[in-house]
Amino acid sequence: MKTPLIYFMLLPFILSIISCNKVIDISLDNATDRLVIEGNITDELGPQTIKLNTNVAVSNTNTYPPVTGAMVTVNDQAGNVYKFTEGPAGTYITPKMIGVTGNTYTMNVVTNGKTYKASSVMPGLVALKYISSSKSSFNGIDGTRKITINYHDPKGVANQYNFLMYVNGVQVKRVFVNNDDFTDGNSVNFDLIENDIGINPGDKVTVEMQCIDKAMYTYWFALMQQNYTGPGGGVTPSDPPNNITPLVLGYFSAHTTQTKTITVK
Amino acid sequence: MASPLFTIFIILTTITAFAQKKATINGTVKDAVTGETLIGASVTLQEFSAVGTATNNYGFYSLSVTEGEYTLLFTCVGYNTIAQKVSLHKNQVVNISLSPQNGLQEVVVRAKRLSNENVVSPQMGVEKLNMSQINQVPVLLGERDILKTITLLPGIKSAGEGNTGFYVRGGGSDQNLILLDEAPIYNASHLLGFFSTFNSDAIKDVSIYKGGMPAEYGGRLSSVLDIKMNDGNDKDFAVQGGIGLISSRIKVEGPLVKDKGSFMVSARRTYIDLFLKLTTDTSIRGNSLYFYDVNAKANYHFDDKNAIYISGYLGKDVLALKNVLGTNWGNKTGTLRFNHLFSNSLFSNTSVIYSSYNFVVEGLQNAQSFKATSQINDINLKEDLQYSIGYQHTLKFGFNILQHDITPGDITSPKNSSYNERHVEKRYDFENALYASDEWNISKHLTFLYGLRLSGLFLMGPGTFKTYDDAGNTISSKTYYSRSNLVKKYINLEPRFTANYVIDDQNSIKASYNRNSQNIHLLSNSSSNTPTYLYVMSSNNIKPEIADQVSTGYFKNFSDNAYEFSTEVYYKWMQNQIDYKDGSQLLVNQDVESLLTYGTGRAYGIELFLKKKYGRFNGWIGYTLSRTERKFDDINNGHYYPARQDRTHDVSVVGIYQLNKRWAFSSTFIYGTGNAVTYPTGKYSSGGLTTFSYSQRNGRRLPSSNRLDIGATLDGKEHKRYHSSWTFSIYNVYAHRDPYSITFRDSKTVPNTTEAVETSIFATLIPSVTWNFNF
Repeated sequence: MKTPLIYFMLLPFILSIISCNKVIDISLDNATDRLVIEGNITDELGPQTIKLNTNVAVSNTNTYPPVTGAMVTVNDQAGNVYKFTEGPAGTYITPKMIGVTGNTYTMNVVTNGKTYKASSVMPGLVALKYISSSKSSFNGIDGTRKITINYHDPKGVANQYNFLMYVNGVQVKRVFVNNDDFTDGNSVNFDLIENDIGINPGDKVTVEMQCIDKAMYTYWFALMQQNYTGPGGGVTPSDPPNNITPLVLGYFSAHTTQTKTITVK
Repeated sequence: MASPLFTIFIILTTITAFAQKKATINGTVKDAVTGETLIGASVTLQEFSAVGTATNNYGFYSLSVTEGEYTLLFTCVGYNTIAQKVSLHKNQVVNISLSPQNGLQEVVVRAKRLSNENVVSPQMGVEKLNMSQINQVPVLLGERDILKTITLLPGIKSAGEGNTGFYVRGGGSDQNLILLDEAPIYNASHLLGFFSTFNSDAIKDVSIYKGGMPAEYGGRLSSVLDIKMNDGNDKDFAVQGGIGLISSRIKVEGPLVKDKGSFMVSARRTYIDLFLKLTTDTSIRGNSLYFYDVNAKANYHFDDKNAIYISGYLGKDVLALKNVLGTNWGNKTGTLRFNHLFSNSLFSNTSVIYSSYNFVVEGLQNAQSFKATSQINDINLKEDLQYSIGYQHTLKFGFNILQHDITPGDITSPKNSSYNERHVEKRYDFENALYASDEWNISKHLTFLYGLRLSGLFLMGPGTFKTYDDAGNTISSKTYYSRSNLVKKYINLEPRFTANYVIDDQNSIKASYNRNSQNIHLLSNSSSNTPTYLYVMSSNNIKPEIADQVSTGYFKNFSDNAYEFSTEVYYKWMQNQIDYKDGSQLLVNQDVESLLTYGTGRAYGIELFLKKKYGRFNGWIGYTLSRTERKFDDINNGHYYPARQDRTHDVSVVGIYQLNKRWAFSSTFIYGTGNAVTYPTGKYSSGGLTTFSYSQRNGRRLPSSNRLDIGATLDGKEHKRYHSSWTFSIYNVYAHRDPYSITFRDSKTVPNTTEAVETSIFATLIPSVTWNFNF
């Protein structure tokens, strides 16, 4: 019931009619220099990237110190080993690799004398059929549009999806995930409801659809729940559970990828 | 099972042996104007101030004393005291009607003394609210609200602005047993928590127990909020109502048979949605946002010994976004009670109680339509007996057999929908209890109130019941096919003990210990009052929650009992507390128990309370200093952390002043330490989004909150046929921005940086006016 659940997260929208926001100064405690690993293996043949850096204080700018000189490899269950070499500082790349459906990929990162491991299974591809735009009932007053994507969920298998949305090349600052707990085997319309960027007629909207494994779904879903921390919603935030041991920040995700772009009417 | 019954038998027989050469007076105390029975009115002997009792929930009292000549004093807050001479040489019935005081009138019988029940009663941790005070306390949008008013008492904290949830001595909001005419209310709020389900027109009496829980109550850890509906006027027909900014209400009451039976029907409805219709924006016009509720009650007294009461409540909220989403939720309760007097000292009440809460979420978009429902139903048979033996012992004992059935989630959908039908198995259990308690007046100075409650949870089939390990993996699964299959049982013995040492008429010291258990648990993903309440029962995985509380207090009255002062200190341990893992999806989930994690809690604090109950100027000041912590293995590295409901300082001041016959003014002020919250301690990038990292759970505080509300009531000129009044109120007089939350996001002004955003729900003052009438 992802969609109904999302609607309940949207109760903040109703409350926001009477509530008001103010940007304030606040001093925070810092626990920085924690390792962050962000690894992605896609089903597109080409360079695959794993990034290593550390977190920074919230008051800093969004630039993250790279972790250099690490040993990074990925292997699959057949014993193929892909070596990732450092390109730009902290960015580890293997030049030519394709993620294959059903394969389990295991990442090994050795840095500062410690080894970090994570595994992820490449799911089957589910086609992104189309993207459409319509008047949003949530933001009915300002005439902005909401984006709906459509796919046909395969019956009898568990599927999880992650969507990234860009409006005129700018990423919408929201997590959108869905699974087929309630929609197995059906044609699914999924609303990408957000209040970060107002989408207007004429805007170019690009949606990337990723098919992800269960652990990654939990990771993104936990982040999505924390997105809505306004009045009425909100869980106590914490670091989302991920698939890396020993525990550090970030994730390692093998996923399919496809994008579609529309011009909003 | 046999041993507690045996104990009761022993106690009964020994006590009876002492009760000789005494005569018993019993009767009912009523309001002289409406005929409503009065709860908690005190009945004492002028000659022996230590001898006394109070009327029970049905206005009944029974008192045994050595034969002789006495003056009986009947006292009740808001009523004129009556002194009645009795020549007591045999058992007799004394029914009394007390006439209500005019608000302006200073207490006439001051010389005769006001009630010092709070000092001499062994009960501690209890607060009783007077409905006329509740009706004068200023509230949001003029909607008089019991739940809002009780959070002005020490030890009871509001769950937040615009939220009727409340926390008692560190307990969660689902750890309060909220009873409306004995029926549990599962969701006590309307409109996402801005208003409570209790229409104060229909309410007679409100008591809340924070500690020293009497043995007749059980099933929740932290408090009992016992609300009694009006019985209805058995002398005259009366209509009363009010027209407010967002809602209107009406009450009709009158005799069925004069002085023998009466009825009462009270209803209200909000009309915010009518304002929505005024806008020109079509997308808003079609939306719905309203609630209504109806309370009804009837009673009939066959004779002095037999009476029957039937009462019910129905409430519903509707919230819908046109063509997108509709939700509605509501409570239904019904109570049938039969009072019987076996003898002048043995009072019995038998109740059959029904209670239900359900919510429905409907997707209304064409290809995405579905209907999701969730429901909890209770049927409860309850027997309570009260036996007075001499003036030394008042015994209470009884049992209840309560059957819950829970439909955790059902989804139905049309054929063309994206959504599949889905049904999570229904669950059935029995929550049975057996209790006995005795109030033992050992001497003029010492009273014990002690008892025992035996509670049992019996989880029944049919269904497939799984057991999960800590990681949430299934380790065993067993299917039962019949409702007679017992899946799991838990038996808990709950001792309750309070001692009161009365130093003198005006001073006493009390101490108590009590254990409570809870077998029905609320899971909620959200800290707020969304209606998607999901209740689960104790099971193979979920153990009964248990709380042990010790408390001690000093009670002092002064100025002839016009002022009451009390201070209580408490410490509470809680076991088997429930939280859920990060990234959990709780709704319509067959394996919801695999997402839970279990821990412990502790809460301690001191409460100070000064109250002036009588006179033109009355009100109270409450202060609480407290700490509430939780400990879970996989949260905060297994260390104790402040719970969301932890509030170090909490102050409330309530003042009501009757200026003259027509004008009354009231004001409340609250101050509280900010909620414990978790702020990020770093940030990083994840999937192109700024993501925050966290260290300590709830390690920081929101800024403190404070608010001043004022109200005024103008009584209309006296008319023969009708009476009217205006109530004015201003909520948040100095337009304080109470921070509701502080969140962090990418700055809208400086690229590549983060900003903190403070959200307040009411950042302005909110005036309101209501016109009330009765005839």
